Amino acid sequence: MPVITLHEERFSKFVGRKLTLAEITEWIPWLGFDIEEVGEDYLKVEFNPNRIDFCSYAGVARAFKGLRGWETGLPNYKVSDSGITLKISRAVSNVRPFMLAAVVRNLELDEEDVVDLMEMQEDLHWGVGRDRKKASIGVHNLDAVKPPFTFTAAKPNSIKFIPLDKTDEMSLQEILERHEKGMAYKHLIDWSPTYPLLIDRDKQVLSMPPIINGELTKIEEKTRNLFLDVTGTDIEAVEKSLNVLCTSLADMGGEIERIRVEYPDQTRFSPNLTPEKMNLKTTFTNNTLGLRLSTSRIIECLERSRLGARRTEKGVIEVAIPAYRIDILHEIDLVEEVAIGYGYYKLKPTFPSSVTIGEQHPALKTANLARQIAIGLGFTEMMNFTLTNERLQREKMRRKEEEEVRLANPVSAEYTIMRQDLLPGLMKNLADNRHESFPQRLFEVSDIVKLNAKTETQCERRLHIVAVSSHAKANFTEIKSAAEAFAANMAIGDWKIKATEHTSFLKGRAASIHIRNEEIGILGEIHPEVLNNFGLENPTVAFEIDLEALID
Amino acid sequence: MVELREHDQKTLEALRKLDGKGTVEEIAETSGLAHAAVMRAALKLSNKKLVQLQEQKRTTVTLNEEGRTYEEKGLPERRLIKSLIRLGGTAKIEKAVNNAKLQKSLVPIALGWLRKKNWATLSRKEKILRASEEPKEGTDEKVIRLLAKKDTIITQDLDKEKRRIMEVLRKRKLLHVKDETIRTLKLTADGQKLIDKGIKIAKEVSQLTPELIITGKWRKAKLRQFDVSAAGPQVYPGKIHPLQQIIERARRIFLEMGFTEIRGPLVETAFWNFDALFQPQDHPAREMQDTFYLSNPKEGKLPRKTVVDAVARAHEDGWTTGSKGWRYKWSPDEARRLLLRTHTTSETIKHLSKHRKPPIKVFSIDKVYRNEQLTYKNTAEFYQIEGIVVDKAVTFRDLMGTLKAFYSRFGLKKVQFWPCYFPYTEPSAQAMVYVPKLKHWMELCGMGIFRPEVLAPMGIKYPVLAWGGGLERIAMLELKLDDIRLLYDNRLEWIRSTPLCQ
Repeated sequence: MPVITLHEERFSKFVGRKLTLAEITEWIPWLGFDIEEVGEDYLKVEFNPNRIDFCSYAGVARAFKGLRGWETGLPNYKVSDSGITLKISRAVSNVRPFMLAAVVRNLELDEEDVVDLMEMQEDLHWGVGRDRKKASIGVHNLDAVKPPFTFTAAKPNSIKFIPLDKTDEMSLQEILERHEKGMAYKHLIDWSPTYPLLIDRDKQVLSMPPIINGELTKIEEKTRNLFLDVTGTDIEAVEKSLNVLCTSLADMGGEIERIRVEYPDQTRFSPNLTPEKMNLKTTFTNNTLGLRLSTSRIIECLERSRLGARRTEKGVIEVAIPAYRIDILHEIDLVEEVAIGYGYYKLKPTFPSSVTIGEQHPALKTANLARQIAIGLGFTEMMNFTLTNERLQREKMRRKEEEEVRLANPVSAEYTIMRQDLLPGLMKNLADNRHESFPQRLFEVSDIVKLNAKTETQCERRLHIVAVSSHAKANFTEIKSAAEAFAANMAIGDWKIKATEHTSFLKGRAASIHIRNEEIGILGEIHPEVLNNFGLENPTVAFEIDLEALID
Repeated sequence: MVELREHDQKTLEALRKLDGKGTVEEIAETSGLAHAAVMRAALKLSNKKLVQLQEQKRTTVTLNEEGRTYEEKGLPERRLIKSLIRLGGTAKIEKAVNNAKLQKSLVPIALGWLRKKNWATLSRKEKILRASEEPKEGTDEKVIRLLAKKDTIITQDLDKEKRRIMEVLRKRKLLHVKDETIRTLKLTADGQKLIDKGIKIAKEVSQLTPELIITGKWRKAKLRQFDVSAAGPQVYPGKIHPLQQIIERARRIFLEMGFTEIRGPLVETAFWNFDALFQPQDHPAREMQDTFYLSNPKEGKLPRKTVVDAVARAHEDGWTTGSKGWRYKWSPDEARRLLLRTHTTSETIKHLSKHRKPPIKVFSIDKVYRNEQLTYKNTAEFYQIEGIVVDKAVTFRDLMGTLKAFYSRFGLKKVQFWPCYFPYTEPSAQAMVYVPKLKHWMELCGMGIFRPEVLAPMGIKYPVLAWGGGLERIAMLELKLDDIRLLYDNRLEWIRSTPLCQ
């Protein structure tokens, strides 16, 4: 999640009032920020990318002023004409079809503003641009180049320019192969025979979207006039990114100017900051929040959330949504804006009057009965992960390879498959506890996951119980008695025990457990080689039973 | 007049046989008394100045698993120097490491000790190791060999140099070290005198037997009086896991509040985990670095076409809900992918798609998964608490109240609700709880009312209040842990010593 660091003094400047850190810390969570860190004179806060307009001081200050009631309603941005034209060549339509642009003039950027601008770009690239795929931004010194501009595409070795922060010219091909940004983002364009390029009247290169800008238009503190370009594959992401950027720069003191963007088949003017309109009903708002606010009170709340709002007919409000908001999809989103403007802290919890009777899930009822009996038999409960690995599940247990539920993207070698039985986990528990006093009697009642082509998910979750007893005199009789006591108390009726062979157990001391001719479990003495594999010194006996048949 | 009980007398008698001096173990063996009985007698006799009780500490040492591995394969630095010599005495670090077949994790250890022991020189720039000859076996290696041969060594028996090396090995975490106290009893002059007078052991009965009871012989027998304050051997009851205990508490609260428990598969299709909850298919949470996908089996089945089509439309243009939707082309292939569910809400929405008659109150406390490395605050699998209320006229404030009622039963009473964002709820909030010990607000759970884009495709007509959060955070507060891994490493010592009543 994106993070912004708010310095007390600078934030105060944007809000237009002297604020203390304590005051910011107290109020900022009510806008939806998470406090990450409170410093000496700064606050580090996290925000969700649905409010990507919070990526700059200007954006946060706008909302903060609204919440406190110091400046409410739709922020107005004046857009005048720049007279500049941007031509979009047909050549880009396959590789990076969209570009929109804007001019912001008469800025007085200080060092912190430049940092703010950089961070804003990064947050937009990540939050809206999906790591530059859907949209990416270029910010240029307008005075270093000459309009009109052209967004075109060029062959990999046809043009050379000096990329940002470098001293030597590189060809487009070289940038993709050797430049750090080129290597990081080449997958976005390297499949195309020609690469996107933004050039001016004299064919000077402004940038190679979405990879890198040219050194020519680099922003410095003394830069006054900016040319902003946003390119991408998703026109909406492109437009919203540009809107967030322009409006923040306007709040930083700039003047926004419009650009004529000529596509081969249409002409549009950008930026387009016209607010979108959506209706909100008073009753819907009150029914959702559990409040009884008047229409005019709701309008007031919306305005505190920096939206425009006016009553159009009885109980209906027309809401104007600023162009930098990307998160309003439905009327319900406006209800939340009312709640934020009203103040979450003022919402008093109430208790619903719905009358219902609670009930346990049958599987968990069975699980708890199994637990109760196991504890009565003197066993102590273990809780292992359902994720495990082949070494534990098979190799140490002397088992052959079998087909199991397997992760496509394991995060470590420890967790690669889902367990198909519980016993290996308990063997590991014994190994981890070998320095504790004996006897050790452990059990687990939990889930395993097995393949099953008949289900919607091609596998199924099954409830098992496993119990192990490990001490100098542990033997088959002990565990058979325990398993029988367990079965008797679970009211497992006609069950049979048959001699079996299992590679994890000693030959002649292993038995399978059956009900109605279906094998549901195993019991016996663990094979000494398995004990060696786990570094265990005591004889160990175990039973494991599938409990699914007992769930009603 | 000194009055002695049977065990005291037997202890003195054993000491006599041992020529006036013996350890508690030796006396137990000679007298046939239990260890604890000898200890009790020893305390009493020493109070009466008949014996002198001496305590001596000793430290026994054995190799641990890592130590045993090193014993087998050689210390990492030995393995590295050997391979370096094999390579002619000069080689790039990487080459020497590969040649030694050294695990990555052991490389810094090997390099550190090579330098400490002055076995080789390392030029940092070129990353080249140099050594002239293979060094002789060091004392530490000798000690490891000795430990492997003798299994257990008592440190106090070793010379000073070996003891020093033992400390080095302990710091390298290659040893199990156990401190023991050896208790020795020695007859005093008074004790000797008493023995010389001759001890006549009066037969005392310690265990009342069925025979004594039935025959009435108990009337004549001298039943020994016990020192009731003496320590007995410890026993450990069979016991529920502390985390399961907390799960049960949470379940009981839900059941008391009239909620019904639901339970669904751990492996889920992306459809139920994400798509049905209006999470766009290019949402970062759906990416591989956040979610575990399966390579076997890879794909599951989608539900019936009308539901799938409605969900697709909700994503694409909002369907009948009046929403703008996410405005992209929805892919059924993406929805078929199988994954380990990232929240229990996948089961909630499935349940609500089949049970639509209000009022509905359901809950689950069940396993979910996130693609995370194991650290002190994250595990790849954990428990999620989820509660749902559906009724004709329930509100956001009702959600706040329900949740507050739930957590206050855990003693978490100071709760605040901050605005928050989730793709499938609106309005949304996160419940923050004030933790006095930490002096800050901690996130307890996320909450909200299901969006119309989620409800409409499932045919749900009433507001769905939902909240969900991790169980482990509460468990850690309750059990006073600051490392989540402790909940899952199943240390018997911790489970045995953690009281069930918190």
